[in-house]
This record gives sequence, structure tokens and C-alpha cells, in this order.
Amino acid sequence: MSHHKITRRSVLRGLGGITVGLPLLEEMTVTDVLGAAAKQPIPARAFNVFFGLGIPAPLQTEGFNGVLEPLKSLSEKLLIMRNVDQVRCDQSGINAHFDGASGAFTATAPDGSAKSGGASIDQLVRRAHYPNGLPKGLVPTLVAGTFFRRSRISRYIHSYNPDGTIAASMQEKPRDLFDRVFGTVNLTGNDKDEKRKRLKRSVLDAVVDQYQYYTGANSPLGTTSKSRLRDHLDRIRELEQRAFAKDHKLNQDSGIPPVPPKSLLKHEGKADPGGQGIDISLKELTSEWRLMAELYALAILTDRVRFGSLTFLAAGERIRLTGDYQYEGRKIFTFDDANQHNASGDKGCSHEWWHKFNEKKDNEALRAHAHMKMREVAYFLDALNDEGAIEGNGKTILENSLITISTESGDGRHNDVRRELSGVFHAISGAGGRFKTGEIMDVNAEGIDVYNTMLDAVGSKERLGPAKRDHRKIDNIRA
Amino acid sequence: MHFQLQISYQIKALLSGLLLVLSSATLWSAERTTEGLLALYDFTGTDGVTIQDRSGVDPALDLKIEDSKAVSRTRGVLKVHGETQIRSLKTATKILNAVRQSGEITVEAWIHPENITQSGPARILTISRNSSERNFTLGQDGNKLDARLRTTRTSKNGMPSTVSPKGSLQAQLMHVIYTRNRSGNAFIYINGKQAAKKTVAGKPSNWDGSLHLALTNETSRDRPWKGSYHLVALYGRALSGSEIQANFKAGADADSEELLARLRARKKASLFHQEIAPLLVKHCLECHDATTRKGKLDLSHKTNALAGGKEGRAIIPGKGSQSLLWQMVADNEMPEDRDPLSASEKASLKKWINDGAYWPVDFIDPLAYKPDANAGKIFIRRLTAPEYIETVRATLGVDLSAQAQELLPADLRADGFSNTAYNLGVDLKHVEAYARLAAIAVAKMNIREFAARFSSNRSLTQKPMRSHIEKLGKWILRGPLEDHEINAYRGISTAVAASGGNFDEAIGFIVEAMLQSPRFMYLVEGQNKTGTPVRINDYELASRISYIIWGAPPDRQLMQAADEHELGDPARTAAQVRRMLADPRARKRSERFAYEWLHLERLKHLTPDKKRFPGWNSQLADDMSAETIAFFRDITWQQKRPLADLLNAQFTYATQRLAEHYRFSADGGKPSGETVKTRPEKNGLTRYDLSAIPSRGGLLTHGSVLTIGGENASMVTRGLFILHDLLRGTIKDPPPGTDTTPMPSKPGQSQRTIAEMRINDKACGGCHTKFEPLAFGLERYDGLGTFRKHDRFENLLREDGELLLPGKVKPIPYKSSAELMDILAGNDRVAENITWKLTQFALGRPLAGPDVPILKKIHAQSLKNGGKYTDTMTAIVLSDLVRMSQPDKAASSRN
Repeated sequence: MSHHKITRRSVLRGLGGITVGLPLLEEMTVTDVLGAAAKQPIPARAFNVFFGLGIPAPLQTEGFNGVLEPLKSLSEKLLIMRNVDQVRCDQSGINAHFDGASGAFTATAPDGSAKSGGASIDQLVRRAHYPNGLPKGLVPTLVAGTFFRRSRISRYIHSYNPDGTIAASMQEKPRDLFDRVFGTVNLTGNDKDEKRKRLKRSVLDAVVDQYQYYTGANSPLGTTSKSRLRDHLDRIRELEQRAFAKDHKLNQDSGIPPVPPKSLLKHEGKADPGGQGIDISLKELTSEWRLMAELYALAILTDRVRFGSLTFLAAGERIRLTGDYQYEGRKIFTFDDANQHNASGDKGCSHEWWHKFNEKKDNEALRAHAHMKMREVAYFLDALNDEGAIEGNGKTILENSLITISTESGDGRHNDVRRELSGVFHAISGAGGRFKTGEIMDVNAEGIDVYNTMLDAVGSKERLGPAKRDHRKIDNIRA
Repeated sequence: MHFQLQISYQIKALLSGLLLVLSSATLWSAERTTEGLLALYDFTGTDGVTIQDRSGVDPALDLKIEDSKAVSRTRGVLKVHGETQIRSLKTATKILNAVRQSGEITVEAWIHPENITQSGPARILTISRNSSERNFTLGQDGNKLDARLRTTRTSKNGMPSTVSPKGSLQAQLMHVIYTRNRSGNAFIYINGKQAAKKTVAGKPSNWDGSLHLALTNETSRDRPWKGSYHLVALYGRALSGSEIQANFKAGADADSEELLARLRARKKASLFHQEIAPLLVKHCLECHDATTRKGKLDLSHKTNALAGGKEGRAIIPGKGSQSLLWQMVADNEMPEDRDPLSASEKASLKKWINDGAYWPVDFIDPLAYKPDANAGKIFIRRLTAPEYIETVRATLGVDLSAQAQELLPADLRADGFSNTAYNLGVDLKHVEAYARLAAIAVAKMNIREFAARFSSNRSLTQKPMRSHIEKLGKWILRGPLEDHEINAYRGISTAVAASGGNFDEAIGFIVEAMLQSPRFMYLVEGQNKTGTPVRINDYELASRISYIIWGAPPDRQLMQAADEHELGDPARTAAQVRRMLADPRARKRSERFAYEWLHLERLKHLTPDKKRFPGWNSQLADDMSAETIAFFRDITWQQKRPLADLLNAQFTYATQRLAEHYRFSADGGKPSGETVKTRPEKNGLTRYDLSAIPSRGGLLTHGSVLTIGGENASMVTRGLFILHDLLRGTIKDPPPGTDTTPMPSKPGQSQRTIAEMRINDKACGGCHTKFEPLAFGLERYDGLGTFRKHDRFENLLREDGELLLPGKVKPIPYKSSAELMDILAGNDRVAENITWKLTQFALGRPLAGPDVPILKKIHAQSLKNGGKYTDTMTAIVLSDLVRMSQPDKAASSRN
């Protein structure tokens, strides 16, 4: 599972002979990026970063001395928010892990097993800044992540349209993620026949014509259906772009990484054997996480992607983790979930540590799991914060973007129905100086008000949650 | 000849008139159709200048009599003896919207013309600006009826008109109907008989939205009509011949109280189902259902709710302010410790009580009325991967199974099924796959043969190619093409011609484009903007029916039925359904349902602990899946038994491997009947008679279902499965963060003992008592379905328990798992739930509160006919959930 770390610098070096099938945006060419980057406007970007299970509220109070330690090096560029309440996302009859996961970034309860109650933050920012769609060549929304529990989709997908449907399919393997962002499309086979290519183009034109009709003013369809077909049309546009854009010279020395190796982890149905969980080593898990994080970061660095979400496992995750966990040269813990629980199947999985959380005890295993996840989240954020991520204004992409980090559960204690969705961990980046950073703040507010304040600050007029609700501005998070 | 026809018609009319005189007083009992009714005038008022629209369809389109001296009014009859105009107070917007939406219209009138000489035509009913601009006019031209409909293919004046034969109109009470369907077939019926037929092509999309509805004269007041009106009705759809006859037989009775009572009840029922029941579920039933009954008040059952609780009567029909329920809600005292009702919810509740607290069901099923923010949002449904494969096969005769399975991303399961429309989005991979598959399909086709099915003309020139595209496109895209579509595909043939290509190439590229059209990839249906359910057009209905029954497109016979407007007639539709259910594709589709309902895909990924289950392998999982499908097939298609028998039928299918796993030989299970070879011979299934094994028999004793509880045979998970998936019950989630780590069994402590501890626990018991006892009868099956009487700690396992049905207070005891299966099989709620699951799968969307009354009818109809799979499917297809398009709430709120 080992690989060479992918950096923007190596990418930029190779861009002169780009090999990928996507047409390059003007601002992506070597000259633009290296020579005239300062002239480029900083694009609006918003990403949701989700990690599974959460950090019990009492552990959040320990600041960087506890499980949040891996975020310390980024602390000046993040606002860590405690006491964010997502109780409104609780839905009777539905597992709280699922409610919380669905509520992350949407502040609404789930509406069906594969639908949230409304839009996610990143999508409303996208609509605000690109009401007519993103520039050609960009992936409209990139949803990616590593996860195993598959029973309900909003456990692991964290980008939603306003009608609550998923904003994009999940890329759950490194190679899928690579293909989604950098892949080529070949509609004409190896045919070099220009005539045939022209006719293929004509076919696609007719297809586009049909989708335009059904999404246009004279469409007989309703709003929701039109929106669905509009998404389809967007995908066709991407296909068109990739299939018929001017060919670029193949250059084996390109900085674009080679196609990632085939994932060795279990995916799709195999990754979720009837909810019973899978055995996995720390090395296997983090190798894949890191590759996904690097590829996702690369998609941002090369400006292929401006909106989406990245998931590090998800609600009610079912893995039985093994392996020594070390951080900065010191051993934190030896993961051995099944043996430590003395149980097999789902009851031997790491998520049981959250069910067993007790404020009066050490919670050593839970702490180690949460610490490790923070380390991986920090790894992704670091990739957007190194020198290769500096933009025209001298700030890094992490600083210039709205990156929201959250999870599914908060308090974790068992004696109050409403507690689990209280105190849900949140951290945000500065979004171009719009939000305070360098603080750990007790915001004592509902997630919906925090999110809507964020949306207001980044220029979105749309709001999450019920239209008639009196929204409370949480001004103390704003810079 | 013509003269003879005319005489003949006059005699028929006379006979009809006689029949009418005899029948009008007695035949009102025949039910008039109310489906698609937009406006109804029964002229019951005798005073004033206003004629009320009594359809109950908002907004009411009342009419005003301009000169009251020109008319005389008696109950049920408006006689026009002078020149005046009767015009709607508002523009006829609701009619305009419905007709534009459906492309269909019906105008019905019971009239008595003063004479058979007035002409112009004299306006009986009109939606027009003047004598040369109209949307629609029904007029009298001597002894004929003349109907003019404006469409994109007729003139502004609605010409050419549809005219009844000479002599068809008499100066006597007559029932006249003009009806026109989306296909352009227009008919005039007089006294229940078809009098004229004409093709009126085009669409009414160009109707003028500023026009009013008027009776007895043109808006410009220069085409007066004299005579009596007894009834006038307008529908936003075409009526079938049988419906027209029913309306005719219902008579011209001026006092249409029965009809109006039905309409009122419909409106009240709508308020209950759409607002009141969801409100009670959302705010009240958590504490006031049949089990909890806080304050001894049960608001889930009609009788109990109206009886009240220990504080007195909660609901006093007609007296909102005196009803405790209203008082507590108004003061925000209830719901306790929860958000108060919104202002609009409070207003609905008060109105409902004040209007008599109409409560059309015995029991409010919480799941049916679960608040759903997106209920009413219509998501266009993409074909699933299996449907796509079958559609290509049926349309082009090309099998793309292997390629599609390789290229198409899997459809993800949502709300229990993988065909749930809202979750059938597309990613770049889909679009790329569709493009590649289209090219592969064309490459595999015999283009020449295929094209010849539609025309022998192989010219690339304009006219024949357009005609070819029109015919071929209608087949591939499952309905007639619009001009803009023909133009788009014509563009391809032009490009081919310009590049020196030939006819076959042109057709190949056109087919390739059509296979990527939204009309191929999706079930495209027009939006319903009317706010009320309207009938979908024939082609949309044909597609719905075929994808429900076959998961495949309409065949030629069904398309022909759509062409001939037969599907508006329930009897003819039923005949189509019978024919289609006899097709092998219907079996395949039913098996897909069973596979998804029971989530058999799950078995492919089971990896139980090898130490505890050393004998497990993936072949056993395949055998379990095959057992359940073979069993389902036997019940539904071979024995044609009621679906409820799935719960306790005393036979099954097993491979030798599975039989050993089940320990059949030890338990006395004997092979019976023929061996069914469903897969390669080594995996052949044998039918087993289970009458000697009381512990086996029925789906719940299949390994495929028992594994739902995981390798630990969780009683919680199994119990919840029965509660949710068989009994349609709901349960609150455990308090978030609850330690759900199960206590392991140990000597002296079986899982049953542990479950009883949970049930007796004050904090857990309230909920666990509702579902864990459901699984007690399954305790003797381990996590992989093997039957044993002792667990690994030698604890004796039991099989007795109690079954608490949702909404009931008293549990039903059972002594054995066999008895549990019999209770479930005999319980109507289980049978009803199977109907609901089938309906959800048929519709491709989760069910919601407004569906409940129709679901009840579907289930009742299915049971009446035997409760078999075919009965249920027939009832579903003939129901309003399939025949009608529901209002698109997203549209009405945003457009």
C-alpha cells in the first residue's frame, strides 16, 4: 500500500506536457500557475470533511492536550467549535449515528435512508457562487472517502442538493477518485477516422439537445425532475469535454501521478458483511486514507474541484482494527478491537468503544481511535496548507477555502436522550479571513445557526433548515 | 344512404330519450365519475345571479348571470329564455392548467335545447374571447352539436370543428359529451352513445390564459343559445366510453346530493390524511398511542380518541373550543416537553374539529403518516441497471447483460429497494457507460432488419427520413415524438448524409442517440401542476404498467392499446394486465421484488467468524438465496397461493448442502416432488415437504432471513426486522449513546433470559416489549439458521412468546415457532404489509400519507380476489396510484 506522496510541486513541474484527458483550464497552465498566479482571483471553494463516530464532548475540553493533539500544528488556521448542538437532527425511530451523520453539514434530520433533509453547506456555496454551473472542465462536486458500513447512504456521503438527494456519487477507491478527476473518456474506440468522430459528436449534440429541452423553459417536467436531468446534462457536458477536447501530448514525465494501484481493501458489499464488520489493520486503513486524501487534495490543488466532501469512515463504522498506533515517534496504543472487546462480529468493532464511553474512566481505546482520526484529518488539511498550496494572495488554499470538519456524535454519554447530538465537534477554516481562527471556542449554539452564519459570511443567500425559522446569527465566529 | 343514417339516428335518439325519461328518476344510483373533475354546475340554487361551482376543486369557478330576467331558475334547472350571458367571475385558470397538463378535456352537459333551429353555432358552453378566438366551444348548429378545440394544429378559432350527425340533437333533455384524449382522438357522445369521432391533432399548449368560462352566449354576445341547463361538468381528462355511459345512466337529476356528498367526503378525507393524521403522528402518538396511552388517552384509534381519556373528551366533533385536545394544543401545554404545533398546524386542527372531526380510518398507522418533507415531490425515475438491460433487449433485441454489468455502476439501495427514484442519480461513469453501451448495442444490431420494421423506404431525404424517425422513435422512446425531437434526430441523418454516409449508418447513429435520450433512460412524465391528482396520458400509463409488471418497456400490444386509448378503460387495462402477468418477465420481476424486499444481496457478503462457524462458505449463502427465491416462485406462480402463505407454507427448497446445514435428515425433512434445477446440476434444489418438521416452514425459517440477526442471532435485530418489515410497526430509537453491547450468553443465561431482563427493565422495557418477543419464536435458530435446542452453554432454548401487534394493547401468546408463523400468516396486517411493500417497489418511491386510502383499497381488492401476487399486482396497476399523476408540490411551491 505504500506510495510516493503526491505534491502540487511535482504536479506543476509536469504540467508542461500534461497527459490527462481533461482540457486544462487557462489558469491551470504552467505559465499561469507559476508565473502569473498572483493575478488569478481566488475561487470560491467549500468542502466538508467528515470523520466517523465523533469526539465525546468531555474529551473536547482537553484541547490540544488530548485527542485533538494532531490538529495543533494547524491551530492558527482553524476555529475549533465546541458545544454545537445538532439535536434537531434527531429523528425518532432512526439510529442516532445515522441522524448525526445526516445532520453533519446539513443541520437537518435524514429524510429516507439515502436522502438528507436538505442541502449541505458546500452545495449552497456552490449555488451562490456558480449559479450557472462551474467553468467547463471542473468536476461539479467531488464526493470521496473510505468507509465500510453501507446500510444508509447519508452515513457516508456528505454533499447534498437542496432537495436532499446526493450531490454526487461517492468515489470510494483511490482509482475511482483518480478517474473521476483526471480520467479520460474514449467514445470512439481507437478509431482515428475524423468523419466518425464528427458523427459521434453529432450524436452527442442530439443527446444534449434532448436534455436541454427537458431542463428548459418548455419542459413538461416539474422542478425536482428538471433538477435531476440538469445534473445528468452536467455529466454529459463533462463527458463531452473529456471525449472531444483537444488532445494533449502524452508525456511520461508529467507530474500528474500515475493511476493509483488497485485498492487492496474491501469495498462495496464485501466491506459490509451484513453489518458484522471487517478485520483491518491500521496500516491498511491509513495507507488508503492517505492516498485518498492526497488525491483529493491534488484535485483541489490543480483546480479540478472546488466543492465536495471527503469522508474518513462514517457513522456506526464497523471495523475491527489491529496494529500499533504511533504518533511523532511515541506509541499511543495497540489497536486490537475484537480481543479487547472479547467479542466477534459487530460487537467486536471499534464503534463499541463509543457505546462504552464513560467520562469517569480512561477510555483509552476510544481516545486512541479519535486521536488517530484527527491525525488523518490533519494529514489532508496539511496537504492544502503546505508551500505548494500558496495562492496569489500569499495565503494557502486551506486559509482561502471554507473547509468544515465535523462528525456524527457529540457527548456520547448515555443518560440523556438529547445528549448524543449535543456538543458535536466542529472545526472550520478561515474562508479567506471571514472567520476567526486560532481559537477553541464554546459557541453554545445550534448547528443550523452556525452553518447559516457561515453561509451568510461567504455570500450565500440561501439558508439551511425551515424557511420560516428565525435564524440566530452567531457573530462571534466571524472575524 | 345518408338519409337512412339520419333517420336511423333520429330513431335511436328518440329511443334514448324515452329511456332517459324512464331512467332519470331511478338511475341516479349509478355513480358518476369524479376523477379529474374540475368544475361542476348542478343549478340547485334558485335565487340570485350566482351559479356555484360545486366540484369542490379549488378555486371554485362560480358563474354570474348577467341579466337575471333572461333566465328562470328552479331547483336543478336553469332555463334561458332570453338573451344574456353567464360568465365565470374569474378566468378559467384551473381548467386551462389541467387541460394543458393532460392534453385532454371532457365537457359534459345535460341540456334541453329550446329548438333545433338556433345556430351560429349557438354557444352552449364556451371559453373564448369572441366569435373567432377561443380555447374551446360547445355549440348547437341546428340539429347538430359542434365542438371547437384550439390546439397547436387547429386554428385560433378551434377549426376544424368536431360535428355530430344531422338530427343527433333534439329539442328535449339530452346528455351531451365532448371528450378528447392526448392522442388527438375526439368524440361526441349523445345520450351515452358515440355520435361522432374525429382526429384533432396537436396540443392545447397554446390555450389563452386570459379567457373566462361562459354559458349561453359568446363573450362578444353575438351567439346566443336558448334552452335549459340541468348539469354542466368539465374534466381535465378524457372519459372512457364506460365512464360516459355511467354518467349518462346516473341521469340529469338536478339534486346531485349523492355526488356532492362524495366530493365533500373526499375533501374531508384529504384534510385528514394529508394534515390531521400526520400532525397526530408527529406531535401526539409518542405518548398517546394504544400501547402508551398516557392519561388513558389513545389518539391512534378513532373510537378511543373520540371517547377521550381520564381528563374527559379530547375531541368533541363540531366544537373545537370545547375539545380538550384543542385547548391543550392552543395553550402550548401539549405536546409536553416538545416543540408546540405551528400556527398552520393549529389552524388545521381547529378547522378539522369544528368541521366535525371527520376520521375515515379506524387506526392511524404511524408509518403511513410519518412526516415527510419531500412527500409530493416527484422525482423522475431513471431505469435501474436490470431495467436498462431488459429495455435494450426488448426494444432492439440486443443482449447487453455482460457489458452493462461491467460498465454500469450499481444502483444503491434506498428505503429498502434499489429502484427508489430519488436515489437513482447519475455520475460521470453512468453517462460514459450509457454512451458506450449505446454504441455496443448498435454494433450488435442488424440495422437493416430493424429499420425495415418501420418503413421500407431507405431514403435519407427529408420526408421519408422524418417519417422513419417518427415511427422508430415512437417505439424506442415509448411514445410519439414531438417535432423538436424529430428535428434533433434528423440533424444526425443530415450529418451522415453530408459526410457521404448511408442510410444504415444514419439509423445506427440515430438509435445510438435515442438510447441516450432522457426519454429512454428515464420514465418521463409530465408535471401535474393542477394541485389535484390527474390521469396520466396513455403512453405514460403504458410505460408505468410495463415497468411495474415486467421491469421492461411496453410491447406492441400495450403500445397499440395506448394508441387506441384503451387504457382509460379499467376493464381493458385489466385484460392487458392479465396478459402481461402470464409472460415470463412478470415472474422474473416478482423474483426481483423478493430479492430486494428480503435484501438477499446481503448474503453474498456474509463472513461469519470462522472459529464459530467453520462450515460456512459462500456456496451456502448462494443456496440460501436460491431457496428463498424458489420458495417464493412456487407460492406465487406454481401453486398460486396468497402471498401471506409465504409465512407458513410447509415446504421449502434446499440443496443437499443446505439440507445438511438445516439438519433435515435428523429432523425428518423429506424430499418431495421433483427436483428443481435452478443452477448447474451440482447446485440443484430439491423440494422438501416440511409437514414433519414443525419448526420449519415459511420465510422466517429460511437461513436467508434468519441471518439478518447476525452471527450472534440478535433477538433485537430479528425482532426489529419482523416489526418493521412484516408488521409495519415503528419504534423509537434507543436513547442516543445507549450501550447496546449485548450481554453474552453463559451457562444459566440464554439470550432469551437476557432479552427478558431488558424487557423487565424500566428504562428499556417500554420499547423492547414491542419487538423482542417477536423473535422469541426464532431463538432455536442460530445466527446462520441451524436449528438446535440448546445453545453452546447447554442452556435450553425456548420457542414460545407473545406477539404484540402494532396498535394493539393485548398481546397474542404463542407456544411454538410454528404457531408464531401461523399467527403471522393469518394476520391481515402482515398481508397488508406485503401489499404495501409490493406497491412501493411498483412505484419506485417510498409511500406517504396521501397514498394510504388508495393502499387500503388496493389491499382490499387484492384480498377480494384471493390475495395472490397476481391479484395484488392487478389491484396496484388499476389503482389511482398508477393511473393518476399526483400533484407536484415542489412545482406548485416554486414555479
